[in-house]
Amino acid sequence: MSQTKQTRSISIANGPSFLSTPDNTLLADLEAQGIAIEYHCREGYCGACRCKLISGEVDYTVDPLAFIDDDEILPCCTVPLSDVELAL
Amino acid sequence: MKYTTFNQHNTDVMAEPMFFGNPVNVARYDQQKHAIFEKLIEKQISFFWRPEEVDVSKDRSDFQGLSDAEKHIFISNLKYQTLLDSIQGRSPNIALLPIVSLPELETWIETWSFYETIHSRSYTHILRNLFTDPSAIFDDIVENEEIKRRAADISKYYDDLIFATQLWQTQGEGTHVVNGETHVVNMRELKKKLFLCMNSVNALEAIRFYVSFACTFAFAERELMEGNSKIIRLIARDENLHLSSTQHILNLWAKGKDDPEMAEIAKECEEEAREIFLNAVQQEKEWAAFLFNNGSMIGLNEEILCQYVEYIANQRMSAIGLGQPFDIASNPLPWMNNYLSSDNVQVAPQESEISSYLVGQIDSEVSEDEFDAFEL
Repeated sequence: MSQTKQTRSISIANGPSFLSTPDNTLLADLEAQGIAIEYHCREGYCGACRCKLISGEVDYTVDPLAFIDDDEILPCCTVPLSDVELAL
Repeated sequence: MKYTTFNQHNTDVMAEPMFFGNPVNVARYDQQKHAIFEKLIEKQISFFWRPEEVDVSKDRSDFQGLSDAEKHIFISNLKYQTLLDSIQGRSPNIALLPIVSLPELETWIETWSFYETIHSRSYTHILRNLFTDPSAIFDDIVENEEIKRRAADISKYYDDLIFATQLWQTQGEGTHVVNGETHVVNMRELKKKLFLCMNSVNALEAIRFYVSFACTFAFAERELMEGNSKIIRLIARDENLHLSSTQHILNLWAKGKDDPEMAEIAKECEEEAREIFLNAVQQEKEWAAFLFNNGSMIGLNEEILCQYVEYIANQRMSAIGLGQPFDIASNPLPWMNNYLSSDNVQVAPQESEISSYLVGQIDSEVSEDEFDAFEL
């Protein structure tokens, strides 16, 4: 079983925590929880969903083309590799 | 420094800055200082589309059914977008190609500009379908005061940089008097002009298109002008990519990952950069007021559109380290995102009205009397 097939804990700073679903991107998981997050392209090139990764590790499903700062990730094209905490 | 179309000196492109280093000689992409631009080129090319592929014929009857206020909104937006892409179809080439120093960035600029020319061509495609003679619409772009004000503001940073570069490339650094006006040309000033110009272009790609995108998609939400909406979705997808590139350039500078002098300038001119952005926000709000001065349209009004401009400005400004100056936390037009998602752009040809695919296969319009001769 690859790392991305596992369920991880996703917590939002000053917000709810929930469990990830295997194979889903973080954005899809956030939306399934009813957490409003901005998105445009959903393919990693526009950067609209950019948010801060406070702790944990993620893996990209596509090579992201949008600018991402060192402490930021794009939820639209990442899956958690460990439990993660995000700041939206 | 005189520009040369093929620099005969061997330069190490890995040591060159993005701009104002040595002119590019060999268009080679096997080694890249900033590989992101090569990736952007590949992505942009994979987005290739032609306006003629989108069937806009149904829009003509939709347009006849719009109220006068809605016609004003629709046509004014098309005029403004025509202006924006007229500028963007040429200016990155003229302003940036003479000073670029990396082959992958040079090609990105050319690719970027080329796509803006596709956008310009698509406005003609849309207008030709709506009007037997669209020339009055195009002529008004250089007459309309609202549009001219914006044009002056957008082109001024480009024009400044282009003029200073021309002086530098023909006369060199120093103080030059041209037509009685004194111009001080040195590398620091040139780089400052480049920095301000890039910020102005970034603001253009980041927010200037979005008021008209919102109106287009608001029509589409009512199943009106859908051919136009399909084209604008393709344009929006390209613009998102262009915005990525200007954000990368600005951040590479600010974070000291390119030319160290540009990092200093980014710090020094941060306030000016913020002003450029906020000024564009203000102008877009004024544009929204102008659009709705004859009355609003279903699903949109001036207030909500201004909130959307602020919302999107927060996003775009924080992406280049300018913070989030506006107090608005959630997207006032959440349905916009459905139109900006690339999932909803890339459709199978047989499922959309791509005329080149459909030609000779089926009629998209079948009237009832075509079945008159049928007998069961």
